[in-house]
Amino acid sequence: MEMDNRVEFLSEEGWRQWHLELLQSTLNRVYERVPFYRKLMDEKGLRPEDITSLEDLRRLPFTTREHLEENYPYDLFAVPLRDIVRLHTFPGISAPIVKGFTARDLLAIRRLTARFLTTCGVTSEDIVQICLDPGMSIWIEELKEGAEALGALVIPPDPQSTSHRLRIMRDFRTSVLITTPSYALYLAEMMVEEGFTPRSLRLAVLVGEGLETSTRLRLEKQLGIDTRLGYGITEAIGPGMGYECEERKGYHLAADYFLPEIIDPETGEPLPPGQKGELVITTLAVKANPLIRFRTGDLTHFLEGNCRCGRTTPRIGQIEGQIDGRVSVRGIKISLRYIEALLKEAYGHVPLYLLRIKRSRFLEKLELWLAINEQLFEPSILGLHRLAEIFEQKFEETFGLPCRVKLVEEDHLREVAKGQRILFD
Amino acid sequence: MLAVRNLTTTYGPVVALKNVSLHVGEGEIVCLIGANGAGKSTLMLSIMGVVKPRSGEILFEGEPIQKKDPPEVVARGISLVPEGRQIFYPLSVEENLELGAYQRLKREPKEAIRHDLEHVYELFPRLKERRKQLAGTLSGGEQQMLAIGRAFMAKPKLLMLDEPSLGLAPRLVDTILEAIVALNREGLTILLVEQNARKALSLAHRGYVLETGKIVLQGKTADLLADEDVRRAYLGRDYRQFTD
Repeated sequence: MEMDNRVEFLSEEGWRQWHLELLQSTLNRVYERVPFYRKLMDEKGLRPEDITSLEDLRRLPFTTREHLEENYPYDLFAVPLRDIVRLHTFPGISAPIVKGFTARDLLAIRRLTARFLTTCGVTSEDIVQICLDPGMSIWIEELKEGAEALGALVIPPDPQSTSHRLRIMRDFRTSVLITTPSYALYLAEMMVEEGFTPRSLRLAVLVGEGLETSTRLRLEKQLGIDTRLGYGITEAIGPGMGYECEERKGYHLAADYFLPEIIDPETGEPLPPGQKGELVITTLAVKANPLIRFRTGDLTHFLEGNCRCGRTTPRIGQIEGQIDGRVSVRGIKISLRYIEALLKEAYGHVPLYLLRIKRSRFLEKLELWLAINEQLFEPSILGLHRLAEIFEQKFEETFGLPCRVKLVEEDHLREVAKGQRILFD
Repeated sequence: MLAVRNLTTTYGPVVALKNVSLHVGEGEIVCLIGANGAGKSTLMLSIMGVVKPRSGEILFEGEPIQKKDPPEVVARGISLVPEGRQIFYPLSVEENLELGAYQRLKREPKEAIRHDLEHVYELFPRLKERRKQLAGTLSGGEQQMLAIGRAFMAKPKLLMLDEPSLGLAPRLVDTILEAIVALNREGLTILLVEQNARKALSLAHRGYVLETGKIVLQGKTADLLADEDVRRAYLGRDYRQFTD
């Protein structure tokens, strides 16, 4: 596969030209073809030709996850349905969120994922084992295809027990592990327990969540490997949107695929480098479902200055959290708004609640505390269990992750929560 | 090498180009595809300074040239092979070629021009055979070779060609396009407008799709060849505009 690595080293002037051209042609297409964007732009009295510089980007309206739901099923496509060759679906509250891909989109994403893995140091000689939760199925799919495009041998995460996974790792001499930081830590501990040393393993590509430097160093030492972090949002583009280079100083953003901005989530105003805000992206190379100023909900900041690796793409620091009311667990984003919708569906009302994120053996576990009230009461233990199960089932169906429900007294919940609705233990 | 930003060109009330931005990097072959009337020729004429754009910037090697007249644009290193060839029929082949070097006559030694003339003959041996013949007596393909040769005689850094394969037999189309690739291999940067999208995309590095005066798509040619819209509009039979 031909890669476009050269573009990562463009001059500042080169980037401005590149971005302006792609932004303008994206807007020309989107304005003609996507009624939703046309309406948003018309409301602001904007036409595509009013965008004559990158600074004009901020005149364009934002797109949110709610917009994606509201325009289900067909209203955000910029191509006829027959051009779409793959359709991914994501949980949404009022309606699912769908994202289509043309054959060209798939090619572009595969190329991007391959570039991400190459930058991490993966080659055709590698044996790549992917260990990710089923909730990250889209990541799995795209990482698998990206690694295959490089010519590596890929072992996708078929259902296996952890000890069998380790056995496969040993017998097939896995050299690269792709997983979340927490699962990597968990595996490392399991290895110690089973007395297993992964001699062939040399690199872990960690995606879905960030990692503290001290923990990272410990993991590297324990397994005798190098690690690289990757960042991506599947609703927007996919894995490979941001990745560490050999310098390991923040994520290089794939600025040939999208225009990144960091804004103040309250005012919507762009923020200078160094200041923490919400990452907003405008796709530049997407045909089926282009996004204009999509609010990712991820909080981060731009890093100042150029990277020593020579790449001139903008860099961001670690994801420092989510905008209010959202949380990322094991790489899966969960909003309180969504939890409330599920509660309403399960119990007909939204009781007082507290979402607790606990860690046990490095893996994050979710627990939802509900305050017992008159509507939410069963006299028998069995009844209470059944009550809890209703929500637990709905949650797992939606996110592909388990979440335990615990019914507690209202006073106790208030005491523990101290006004918060999310609590990290 | 060439960067165009927000170029808008009008003919009276008719907007021919609307906010067009594109670039051509050194050593690249970039093609521009689009239907008749999309604005492809207007774009080339605007770059040459034949048509003055209403707004926007044209930067050549970092210098703005949108207000320059054609002779100065040529002197800076851009040559155009216009649509329909526009050679001088009553002059001989060699005289046509020498006229291509008109601006160089006073500034450069004769040998340099002579050397380039020989180079054109190497590229198109047919022209050498017919160098004394009047240009009006040449076949369509030979006239096109002459037009390219004449543009080359100005010693351009960027060569722009407007529909070089128009009205030529398939075999001659290949000859002309091969010559373009050969010139590019020698380091000449090329911006090509071509109706024959499949051919253009097969030899260029990148491409832009122009539709009713606007760029609606761009990318590497491999991507454009795989693009559903391009296939439908320019490579297939059921012709439709993107925005229909």
